[in-house]
Amino acid sequence: MKRDRLITMMEIAIMAGIGGVLSYYVALRLWPQGGSASLAMVPIVILAFRRGWVAGVVCGLLVGLINLMISPYITHPIQVVLDYPLPYALLGLAGWFRPVDEKGAISIKRMGLGVTIAGLARLIPHFISGVVWFGSYAPEGWPVVLYSLCYNASYLVIDVLVTIILMSYLLKKAPQLVASR
Amino acid sequence: MSPLSAPVLGQYVPGDSILHRLDPRTKIVVIFVYMLIVFLANNGITYGLLIVTTSVGVFLSGVPILMILRGLKPVFILIAFTACLHLFFTKGGEVLFSMGPITIEEKGVMQAGWISLRFMLLVVTGMLLTLTTSSIDLTDGMERLLTPLRRVGVPAHELALMMSISLRFIPTLWEETNKIMKAQQARGADFESGSIFKRLKSFIPVLIPLFVSAFRRAEELALAMEARGYRGGQGRTRLRKLTFTGNDSIAFILLFLLVIGLIGLRSQ
Repeated sequence: MKRDRLITMMEIAIMAGIGGVLSYYVALRLWPQGGSASLAMVPIVILAFRRGWVAGVVCGLLVGLINLMISPYITHPIQVVLDYPLPYALLGLAGWFRPVDEKGAISIKRMGLGVTIAGLARLIPHFISGVVWFGSYAPEGWPVVLYSLCYNASYLVIDVLVTIILMSYLLKKAPQLVASR
Repeated sequence: MSPLSAPVLGQYVPGDSILHRLDPRTKIVVIFVYMLIVFLANNGITYGLLIVTTSVGVFLSGVPILMILRGLKPVFILIAFTACLHLFFTKGGEVLFSMGPITIEEKGVMQAGWISLRFMLLVVTGMLLTLTTSSIDLTDGMERLLTPLRRVGVPAHELALMMSISLRFIPTLWEETNKIMKAQQARGADFESGSIFKRLKSFIPVLIPLFVSAFRRAEELALAMEARGYRGGQGRTRLRKLTFTGNDSIAFILLFLLVIGLIGLRSQ
């Protein structure tokens, strides 16, 4: 087993643990249905920038599963996959937009772009889950698609903004976090 | 936001009930199938059958009812919300109540009742799994269930290893986060006042040491594992082996009978 691979695996594990812990530091409570702004995106995004998108996706997957084990709210069998492992895993896609180049110059713009794309990717499964959920629980004729989109976007926008603000401070103060050796 | 006092332990309630002793693989599969077949129920008899099986499950788990009700609390709002939607917006059948533009009709009441019931059944069953299975057992169970997927490139062993390490370190990281927050507060950090920007910025002196020490810890872990000869999943032995017992077969047989019963008794 290559040493780099093992270190990456351990970094994924520990960062996922931090993700699990940060999920509990709720910054703002928004909706009764469980949407809330939290800092859980930050460790996943850092790891994705540091070790590439695959590591980010795996880390997100673990954070989703940890949340599922610790506070499961299961209302539909498909919803389980769409609301827990999948959206967090997609956050790892931020790794496509590494904000540090070979010379060590930092681009806040690229970071913002990466986090925004990751946030949009995370919206997709939450949105589908909302449509499926409301499709099977709401009365017929209810504007399911619109409701799901508004509800999910409302807290994801805040999550993405919080993450971007925190990440720009972090990149400025501690760029070594995203520079893998 | 203040440093949190409660440690993250998940919902697991240690115990020695029949449900606790079932193989985690059995519990995962049975509960997953159960959640799918809940949607087959569409009349009094089939819902009755599900209520009986879920209640028996809760009884067998030996978990105090009060604890389950407490776990249900956050979901009640959601249940009430959907029930109200149906009460007012699903039309059909006799008009039971009308006041101005608001009417409540027979079909709305029925739908509201069935859907709240289905909701509760799903949430309670999901809770039964995490209440009676420790997260380490769940991880073991998932690893074994995913093992056949290794052929198509799913690294089941590695995923399970990372998962166990994550779960193992959550209490440690939790404590560390609190310690750093307290240390920074002792230096005058303020996490609770000011504008949103200021509050977010106040987290930076917590996050940086947290992440730096996390990366250091990851490197130490990798070193310790290599020193002990870790070289991937191939041929690795385990401390605790999962074994199927008679109870697991009984669980699968009961599930099978329940599926047949639901299909036979549901109205077409």
